Amino acid sequence: MKYVLKKLGTMIITLLLISFLVFAAFSVIPGDPALSRLGTNATPERLEQLREEMGLNGSLMSRYGTWLAGFVRGDFGKSYSYNMSVGALILDKLPITLCLSLLAILLVIVFSLLIGIHAAKHEGKLLDRIIVVINQMIMAIPPFFAGILISALFGLGLHWFVPGRFVSYRENLIGFLGYLIAPAVAIALPKIAMAAKLLRSSLVEHAGEDYIRTAYSRGNSTKGVLYHHALKNALIPLITFWGMAFTDMIAGSVVIEQVFGIPGIGRILITSIANRDYPVVEAIIMLLATLIMVVNMLVDIIYRYADPRMRQSNG
Amino acid sequence: MRKTFRKTLSLVLVLTTLAIALSACSGDKKSGKADADSSKITIGIPQDIEASLDPHKAVASGTKEILFNIYEGLVKPGSDGNLNPAVADAYTVNADKTEYTFTLRSGVKFHDGSTVTVEDVIYSIQRCADANDTSTLVAAFLNIKKIEATDDHTIVITLNDPDPNFLVYMTTAIIPQNNADPDNTAIGTGPYTYVSRSPQENIVIKRFEDYWGTKANIEDVTFRIIADGDMIVMNLKSGSIDMFCRLTTSQVAELEGTEYDILEGTMNLVQALYLNNAVEPFNNAKVRQALCYAVDRQEILDFMADGKGTIIGSSMFPAFGKYYQPELVDAYPYNTEKAKQLLAEAGYENGFSFTITVPSNYQQHIDTAQVIVEQLKRVNVNATIQLVEWDTWLAETYSGRQFESTVVGVDASVLTASALLARFVSDAKNNFVNFNSAAYDAAYAKALASNETDQVKYFKECENILTEEAANVYIQDMANLVALNKKYGGYQFYPLYVLDAAALYVK
Repeated sequence: MKYVLKKLGTMIITLLLISFLVFAAFSVIPGDPALSRLGTNATPERLEQLREEMGLNGSLMSRYGTWLAGFVRGDFGKSYSYNMSVGALILDKLPITLCLSLLAILLVIVFSLLIGIHAAKHEGKLLDRIIVVINQMIMAIPPFFAGILISALFGLGLHWFVPGRFVSYRENLIGFLGYLIAPAVAIALPKIAMAAKLLRSSLVEHAGEDYIRTAYSRGNSTKGVLYHHALKNALIPLITFWGMAFTDMIAGSVVIEQVFGIPGIGRILITSIANRDYPVVEAIIMLLATLIMVVNMLVDIIYRYADPRMRQSNG
Repeated sequence: MRKTFRKTLSLVLVLTTLAIALSACSGDKKSGKADADSSKITIGIPQDIEASLDPHKAVASGTKEILFNIYEGLVKPGSDGNLNPAVADAYTVNADKTEYTFTLRSGVKFHDGSTVTVEDVIYSIQRCADANDTSTLVAAFLNIKKIEATDDHTIVITLNDPDPNFLVYMTTAIIPQNNADPDNTAIGTGPYTYVSRSPQENIVIKRFEDYWGTKANIEDVTFRIIADGDMIVMNLKSGSIDMFCRLTTSQVAELEGTEYDILEGTMNLVQALYLNNAVEPFNNAKVRQALCYAVDRQEILDFMADGKGTIIGSSMFPAFGKYYQPELVDAYPYNTEKAKQLLAEAGYENGFSFTITVPSNYQQHIDTAQVIVEQLKRVNVNATIQLVEWDTWLAETYSGRQFESTVVGVDASVLTASALLARFVSDAKNNFVNFNSAAYDAAYAKALASNETDQVKYFKECENILTEEAANVYIQDMANLVALNKKYGGYQFYPLYVLDAAALYVK
C-alpha cells in the first residue's frame, strides 16, 4: 500500500513537470494558433480578436494556471481545429489506438511464448538456429517499414486487406478489428522477435541450474520441468519486457497510424502539433504519460507478485 | 491442475488471436461487396477541413473546395469562370454600377426543407462581412450602402461607390436565418447535404434530392483524409480512394498501367521565388532582375512535371482571361550573361549568398527551390534552402516578414484581379514581400476608381510594373494532375480552388 502511494506521488509530480514542459515548448516554437486558423487572409484586427477569444494574450504562467485548473477539474478545454471538446475528441479516438496496442501486445505475448519455448526446447538444433537468425533479422525492421512491406505484400499483392480503407468501430466493429490486424502485426513483429529471444536465452540459462537438475532427479518429464519449473522463473524478465513493449507501442502509434491511415490518437497528436492546437496536444501527452506510468506500475506490482525475492528486499 | 490451467490459457489466447484474424477476412469481404454499389465515390484529400462548417468563416482553400458542394450564393462560379445564377435566377445592374438587383429563384429549398426567403439572403450578406477574414471581401462589403427587399423575391443592393466587380462577391453562401449553430450544422442550398465528419478520418456528404437545378449524379461522397503524402499512391492502388487531386509527376508515374485516368489542368496559383524587397540585396531592382534572368523556368517545369505547367511573368495566371498578359512571360528570357552583367552593375560581381525559406509540406515548392539553387550557382549566387513547418512559415515569413526569399504559390480567393494584385500596394497589410512602388500604388488606385474597360487597362499596368521592377521571380502556374478511377467521369477543372462533386458520374 505504502509502495503504491509512493508511486502515485511520483506520478503526479512527473505529470506536472511534463505538462509544464509541453506548455513551455509551445511558447518557444514559432507559430500562433490564431494565425494558424486564419491563414494567409488574416487581418490584424481579426487576429487580435481571435487571440483574445482563444485566451492567448495572457502570460505563460497565467495561461498554464488556467489550463491546469481546468484539467484538474476534468475540463480539458476545446480543440482549436475540431470545434469539439478535447475530452470528446480523445474519447472518440482513444479506442482506436488502445485496440491497436492491445491487439499487438496479444500477438506479442502469444507468439513470443510459442517461439521462445519452441526454440529453447530444440536448443542447438537446426530449427533453433533458423529461429535465432530470423529473429535477428526481424528485430532490425522498424515498424513503419514493416508496415509499408505488409501493405504492399498482403494489401496490394494478395488482397488480404485494403490499405487505407479504415472502417470506424462505430460503423462495423469486426471490419474495424480486421483492419487493425496488419498494423498490429507491423508493430508486434520486432517485439515478438525480441521477447522470443529473451525467453529462449532465459530458459536455456535456467536449464543449467541446480533446481532443474533436482526437478529431473525427482522424476519429472522434460516437458513438465520446462513448463512448470523453468518457465515460471524465465517469465520474470519477460513480464517487464511485455510491459515496456506495450507502452512503447502506444507511443509508437504516432508512426504506424500515419502509415496505415488510422485516425487514432497518434494521428491527432501529429496534426495538432502542426496546427498549434495545444489543448489537444497537452491532453494527449498527459494521457500517454499516464498510460505509460500506470503500465509500468502494474508491471512492478506483477513483478513483485511473481518474484517473492523482490517483496522481501524492497518491503 | 496447474498444468491444465496453463494449457487452457494458451489455447484460449491462440484461439482468440485466430478468431480475430478470421473475422478480419470476413470483414474484408463485406467491404469488398460494398464496392459494387455504383452510386458512391471516395475522394482523397490531403488535410482535414477547418473547425467550423460555417461558410462565412472558412479561410482555408481545402475547406472551401468541399463546402462548395454544400453552399451556394446568389450566383455561383462555373467551370468556365463565368458567374451563373444560382439562388437568384436573374440580376440586373444599373449603368453606373452602383445598384445590383437580384430576383430570387422561386422554390429554392434549404437542406432542412425550408424555402429560401429574401430575409435569409439579406441576413447572409450582412453576416458575411462580419464573420469573414478576407480583406478584399470585407472591403467590397463595406461599400454596401443599403440592402433591401422590394418584394418577396427581389433584393436591391445599393453601393456607395461604383464597383463593376461586385457580382463576384455575391457568390457568398446563402444560409438560413434560423440556423442556431452554423458552426456544427451545415445548412445550405447546394447539390449535396452534409452528413457527418470524423476528425482526421473523413467528411461525408449526400445528394440533396430537392436541389433546384440538375441533381448530382453520385449519391454518396466521402472525402477521406490522407495526411501522409507517401501513402496517396498506395491508397489509390488499393482502391480505398477513387480520386486524388494535385498529384506530383512521380506519383502519377507510379500509377501508370493502373485503373486510373490522369487528368491535367492548372492549379491556379502564382508560384514564384518571392523576394523580400526590403532587405539587402533584394532592395536593388537590378539584383531582382538578375535573378529573373538567371532562373531557367522551362528547366524547372521539365524537372518537376515533365514540362507540364504554364510559365508566367507576373502576378496573374491564364484563368483570369482578360487580365492575363501572355507576353510578360518573355520579359526575362534565360540569360546568365545578362544576369552576371546586372549583378556587376549592382556591385555584386562576386555574387552573394541568401536563404530560400520553403514550407516543408509542399513538395512541389521544395523541388522548385532545389532547381533554383542549382541554377543560381551558375551566376555565382549561393542560395541555401531552409525548410520550415507551415505554421512557422505563416507566423515568421508571411505575417512577420522575417525572410530573404521564399518559394510558394499565391492563389486568388475570388475571380477578380484585385485578389492577386491588392497585396503589392505598398501599405497593404498582406504585402509580405514589402514591394514599394509609387507608380504601382497610383495605377492600382486608378484601377479601383475606373469603369470596367479602364479597369482592365490599369490592372494590366500594375502587372507590367511588377514585371519591370522584377518584384519577384515569377515562375509558373503549376500543373494540377488529378487521378480518377476509370469507373468515374465528369471531373471539371475550375479557375478557382473548388472540387465539384456534383459533376462526377459513374460510367
